[in-house]
Order: sequence, then structure tokens, then C-alpha cells
Amino acid sequence: MDYDPMIMDDAEALGPVVKISQADSVRVKWELSNTDISFANSLRRVMLAEIPTIAIDLVEIEENSSVLADEFIAHRLGLIPLNAEGIDSLLYSRDCDCDGCCEHCSVRLILHAKCTGDENMHVFARDLVPTGDRINQVLGTPIINDSEGLGPLILKLRPGQEIKLECIAKKGIAKEHAKWAPSAAIGFEYDPHNKLHHLDLWYESDPKAEWPPSEYAAWEEPPQEGEPFDYDAVPNRFYFNVETAGPLPPDVIISEGIKVLQQKLAGLIHELADEGGDGGVNGDGYNGGGPRSPEYGAGAGMDGFNGGYTTPFGGAAAGNQSAWGGAGGATAYGTTPYGAGSSWS
Amino acid sequence: MAAANYKHDNTVERSFELFVLQEGEKKITEKVVSGMSNCSDFLLLKEDHTLGNLLSAYLRMAPHVMFAAYKIGHPNVPEVLIRVQTDGSITPREAFLTTLKQLVALYGQLGREFQKELALRKYADQSENAAADAAGPSGTSGQNGI
Repeated sequence: MDYDPMIMDDAEALGPVVKISQADSVRVKWELSNTDISFANSLRRVMLAEIPTIAIDLVEIEENSSVLADEFIAHRLGLIPLNAEGIDSLLYSRDCDCDGCCEHCSVRLILHAKCTGDENMHVFARDLVPTGDRINQVLGTPIINDSEGLGPLILKLRPGQEIKLECIAKKGIAKEHAKWAPSAAIGFEYDPHNKLHHLDLWYESDPKAEWPPSEYAAWEEPPQEGEPFDYDAVPNRFYFNVETAGPLPPDVIISEGIKVLQQKLAGLIHELADEGGDGGVNGDGYNGGGPRSPEYGAGAGMDGFNGGYTTPFGGAAAGNQSAWGGAGGATAYGTTPYGAGSSWS
Repeated sequence: MAAANYKHDNTVERSFELFVLQEGEKKITEKVVSGMSNCSDFLLLKEDHTLGNLLSAYLRMAPHVMFAAYKIGHPNVPEVLIRVQTDGSITPREAFLTTLKQLVALYGQLGREFQKELALRKYADQSENAAADAAGPSGTSGQNGI
């Protein structure tokens, strides 16, 4: 918070303002201000439910002599976070031309373990081995963040027991199943002093003593003693805490969320402008009436994102080439007539 | 019964009916409301509060818009109805399009702001870590309080 006064100079005068208080490989804590609550909440909802990732969706069990039932193991496998880097170039299997699944719309993982010793054996996510052709070398690999490099425990085997199975990981969004959620949690908070009375805090005798102040309470003016209620006040500062489950870095979750939301809005523009024929944007391939995925025009304008996530994390800070990295507003829709500038402030 | 409310007939095959348009469905259709002047209903298929609340809130802020609201008729049916009435100087469709374009630009601006702030945050963290490294062995890198 010690650097923000100077950067406001070149910020666009109106429109959303961002302050980041913490950013690491697990979480980004940031404040979004100067915008409407619906703007912030839509972004939150999209980050929770509509960012495509990859998760195990089909399991073919060849041998299972463990104590756990097949479907129990299949469910556990589905919940294992897999690396989603480069997911943009993977197709939804419902959109793929193949019969069932292929390397363009899925990643195969094999698990084969047998307990040959005389002590119980632990089978971890690291024992899941991706096989076959993949879009890149990391897509679909189980996320392993613990210091021993094991990953989540899948099951345990007694001496002589064996597990052999093949998994098919597919692209999906968390609206279909929570296993596709990129985030472990998204904290969302506003009005820490409850000045707007959006909350009715239950209390035993003294709400001040019973409700500890939020960590953001220090960021905003506490209410004065006897201050009258401001009927015109609206929430204006929103505190996000985006924590990743592993598939995508947390800052990528935010930028992908923005991208997905822009795609949803752009899809409406295309269809509405096209339908009226009022000389607006003519849909280029967006108008097929057939079933399609939420990701409009996956191949069309999104190429800037395909080379993996060059986030500022891990690499040099300069390698910040997301779709909107360019100063000239090269958004994902930079080529369309409406996305080029920021004339809509 | 299943046809009347297909979500009660919940099978695995249908799980993406919540967000994938079926054959022949249009994402958005405009229907002029006959009883009211300069008023249209926009029906969004396979959408939810994410767009409904966002669009109606921003339409209400838009110039020349007198009324904007949305409803989701049934929680199990993924359809959003947005009603827009204007003062007559623009059509509801024009107001809707303007709002959509404004929102795309605003989110684009947010994305740029975020990347800019993130680069600054990383820069600040790096110099702090460099200072900490110089002083002594640091703990987890990248961890940084406010």
C-alpha cells in the first residue's frame, strides 16, 4: 500500500481502480473500488463458476482389489486438481469431432499400483501418470504442492492389493461440477463497518465486543458516534481474496475471469447487433444456431493467450504478456470495433 | 412432467444444459412489449444472475433509460428476462447495446489496471525480498503483508 499515490497519475480518470495488498503463488488479495457492486459481484461469480479448467471425468477401472468401491475412487480422482496451463487450446469434448475423446479434447492418466511389501502402501496423486499426446507438457499433470512431492492421497493398499485404472481428464467449468473450479475460495467483502446496514449482526449483549473487526476495517473510516444513517450511500470498495486450488495461478484466475465475462458480453453484442442488422458488428462465425460452448470463438481472437500463462510470477516481471498487457488496450476483443479503446469511461 | 421442468430429470448427460445452448436456440432475443411505449423484453437463454444483475444495474445507470430490471422465472430454468424502457430518444436495443459495449470496455480497463498493479506489487515484493535477503536468510519468498 506504500506505492499507490504515484501510479494514480496515468490511471484512467474514471472506471475501476485496483489495489493489490498481497500477491503470491497461492493468493491475491486486492481491492476493487470506484465501481458498482454488480460489476464486482459478476466478476466474483464468474471466477467461481465459469473459468474452464481440466479435471478427471471418466475412469475405467481394470483392477481394484482395494477396500474402496470403484465409484468412491472415481469420485476422489475427479477432485484431484490438475494443471490447467494451456487449457485454451483444449477443446470441450462435446465440441470435438472425435468419437468420445481424443488428444484434442482430453488428457489420459494412468494409475497402476500394487502393494508388494508387507506394510500398507499409500497411493498419491503423483502416481497418476499422464500418457499419450498432450497439448503441452504440463496440461493435465496433477498439482503437487507439498514439500515431499506426493500430492493428495488417493487410497491405501494392504499387502497384495492392487489398483489399475485409466482416467480421462476433460475440460469443463465449475457450473457443471465443482471439481472444475480453479479457486479454492474467493473472499468477497465490502463495508467492513456495516455502515450500510446490509448485515443485521446478531448479538448477545454488545455487538462491538462480539463481532471482531474485519482486517479491512482499518482501511475505512469507522462510523462516528451518533452519526446519522446515510440513505444515499452505496458500496464502493470491494475486497477480494482469490485463493487458487492449484490449476491456475491466482492472478490468472482473475484475468481469466475478466476474459470469460467479456466473452459473455461480447457474445450478446454480436448476436444483438447482428439480429437487428443495424450495421453494427457482424458476427464472424458466431451465428451458427447449433449448440456451442460458453467459450465463444475459441480460435478467433484468443491467440494471445495460447502460449501458456506468462504471469509475472515465477518469471521476470517484464514478461507480463496477458491479453491486456499492451498499453493500447489490446484486449481479447482488441480487433473488434468496440474493444479498441477506453472511450467508455 | 420431465419436459415441463427438465432439471427435475437430472442426469449426467444433461448437466451442461445449464450453460450450453441447444440446437436452434438463440442466446438473446428481443421482444417488444406491446402495452408500453419504448419498452422491450430481452430473453437471455442459458444465463443467470451474473449477467442479469450486471446488465440491469448498468442499464439503470445509463442515460435515457427509464426502467430496467431482470427476473429469473424459476431457479431451475436457466433463463433471464431483462425488461428495458427508454424515454424514446433511443430504442431499448440501442440502450442495451451501449451498455454491453460499455461493460466490455470497463472490464478491459479493469484487466489492464490489474496487470499494472500486479507488476508493481511484484516489483515491490522483489525489492523487499532483496532487502530481506541482504539482511539475512528469508522465509517463504513472495509472502508479504500489507
